[in-house]
Amino acid sequence: MRLQFDDQTEAFRAEFIEWLEANAPSPEETTERATSSAHVPEWARRWQRTMFDAGWLVPGNPPEYGGRNASVLEQFVHQQELHRRRIYPSFNPQGLGIITPSILTFGTEEQKQRWARRILRAEITAALGMSEPDAGSDLAGLRTRAELDGDRFIVNGQKVWTSGAHHADVILAFVRTDPEAPKHKGISCLLIPTDSPGVTRRPFGSLISPDDTDFNEVFFDDVEVPAENLVGPLHEGWKVATGSLGHERAMLWLNYSDTLDDLVQTGGRALVDHGLGDDTASLDWFGSLAIDAEAIRLLGFRTLAKARKGMEATEQSILKLFGSEAVQRATLQVLEALGPDALDPTERTIPLYHLDSEVHGEGWFDRYIRSFSGTIAGGTSQIQRNIIAERVLGLPR
Amino acid sequence: MDFELTDDQLELQRVVREVAEQECPAALVRAVIAGTDDADALWKTYVQLDWPSLVVPEAAGGMGLGTVELVLVLEELGRVSDPTPFLATTSQYLALVRACGDDAQQAALLGAIPAGGTGAAAFDGDVTASRSGDGWTLRGTARNVVDGDRADEVAVVARTDDGPGVFVTSRTDVAATRQTTFDDTMHVADLRLDGVSIGADRALLAGGEDGIAAGRAAATTGLAATMVGASQRAFELALGHIRERKQFGVPIGSFQALKHMAADVFVAIERARALCQFAGLAIDEGDPRRLLAASMAKAAAGDAQRIAAQHGIQFFGGLGFTWENDLHLYVRRAKVGELLLGTSAEHRVRVAKEVLAR
Repeated sequence: MRLQFDDQTEAFRAEFIEWLEANAPSPEETTERATSSAHVPEWARRWQRTMFDAGWLVPGNPPEYGGRNASVLEQFVHQQELHRRRIYPSFNPQGLGIITPSILTFGTEEQKQRWARRILRAEITAALGMSEPDAGSDLAGLRTRAELDGDRFIVNGQKVWTSGAHHADVILAFVRTDPEAPKHKGISCLLIPTDSPGVTRRPFGSLISPDDTDFNEVFFDDVEVPAENLVGPLHEGWKVATGSLGHERAMLWLNYSDTLDDLVQTGGRALVDHGLGDDTASLDWFGSLAIDAEAIRLLGFRTLAKARKGMEATEQSILKLFGSEAVQRATLQVLEALGPDALDPTERTIPLYHLDSEVHGEGWFDRYIRSFSGTIAGGTSQIQRNIIAERVLGLPR
Repeated sequence: MDFELTDDQLELQRVVREVAEQECPAALVRAVIAGTDDADALWKTYVQLDWPSLVVPEAAGGMGLGTVELVLVLEELGRVSDPTPFLATTSQYLALVRACGDDAQQAALLGAIPAGGTGAAAFDGDVTASRSGDGWTLRGTARNVVDGDRADEVAVVARTDDGPGVFVTSRTDVAATRQTTFDDTMHVADLRLDGVSIGADRALLAGGEDGIAAGRAAATTGLAATMVGASQRAFELALGHIRERKQFGVPIGSFQALKHMAADVFVAIERARALCQFAGLAIDEGDPRRLLAASMAKAAAGDAQRIAAQHGIQFFGGLGFTWENDLHLYVRRAKVGELLLGTSAEHRVRVAKEVLAR
């Protein structure tokens, strides 16, 4: 145990910082903002490609896919430096974090070149088609049907919550290919180009605002998909699905860690500015927030240490639950501590970071509301508790 | 940052757990509570195993391990509701002497510990030390001193005209009154000092205010670690019960209401455990965050004991409401810890103020 990283990792960090400072685009170059998680403005495409070419986009990848075969610790400090500066390497985060790792892990060489490399180079963008109207927490109950017919699949059904679908060039979709098999065993994974005839995308507003349109319903009506777009073996898409969500999970906690650090800063400033700096009730929850911010970092580091050894870390199962709920508690506490001072929804409570795709002028109500994406998406807090109870604590199903 | 236990640390944890489970079963804890046995034989076993010398500096004849190791050991001892003077001797007396004494004083005072010498630390109260001849005279009262009624030596924090210092007195020179507490395995005493004479060699003035704060941070962290251990044991017992206990034809642990409560206890304990080890690490590395980290650890341990006790008793239902069930032995230990050296609410406010002042 020690509080510092080893010299090699720190040298890697220093090299990356130097590169970032020399190459990151200026605020003036970045005025056009992304409007969804698959809408990537031209400047952001150039930025992503710059990172790709320099091997800094996904350092754990080989150079061919925008990396430099970095170690787990090196990948971590890379993420840490980006997060610290609120720099998004890609404005198509699911493309970078979930879809390309799935293709690189399970796909054919041709798929890697044709899809993964182009997504990584920001030539195209991608969306993830998992949830359906009747398959949310019970994802394996999905019903979108794909029938193999010679050298193509015929796809019929509907996805929902498909972030960025209306701007994406391709959807990595999980579909049922064997309706007779047990539900986890009849699923396959397909790359479906969004310009295929029969694909209809309908964006809809989020709880934040009718204009906050990232989510989509996506309808498939007799959509023909070439059989070569199958990722991984037929009927074994569940492995890809669990693998997809597992990618980078060892580092996903950094999001919550940064948000909590930010809440310590901005929430603390709000308390002081509103004369609550000596209010014992406020200090009590603010102390808890500061403790949560430290605890998630420690639990995250422990997960990382185990990931480095290829061990499964039980701490990992609690990071999402703990992090998302800590953020929610804190935003709610600030909102309700400020009284009428928190009424204005347009008050900007976080600084504007020009390389961050999340640049909403958020008041405390919006920050609280947005926190539900953490406690709902990617497995609700209740599902996380079930997982901890059953898989970690050994309680019966 | 490397926040993983080393193989040596994991081995230490394993050995201490194994021995503690064997040597300090619930039956012994019950006998101590009932007054039919005491902790003396258990303490002798620890001494034979060289446990007290683990964190004694090498210069004083010990093994010189750090606070991280101490945290690991104390968690295991909390897990069995250890009734010996280990907690106070190592995490309070030794830590305060190390933080405030010069090298010669440390060697002289701590050299007794490997052979079984015990100590306590009086952090809170109203004691003044005034010079008399070459030495000092102590007057006043100290409150809530763990093992203040049975340790060989007591390190007393006292005011002097030149700021606070630490003065080590033989316990037999002070009037100690053991308090009644709801956990009879813990000794908590109030001390009265009526003109106790202390030689200059036992006046620890090298550390000053910072040293006292550092000693207190170690004590706070150590107590937090025992609370985590006791909470962990209460949780293990409760989990074992809901896995086995059947109602409506199924184990009650298959009900989501209980699963979700169990997951919350697990999260609270993991959070507290990580913060205890972090505080130990910060103390060992002399990190400026060590006082903050100790407060975080104590607050988080308080949160963990609260939910572990609350859900633990509830999980057992009527069986949790009996004297016969061992659960309460660990609930009591954890809850006593919550009330000493600052409650979790006090530490949360301390954390908040320090973070806001940054």
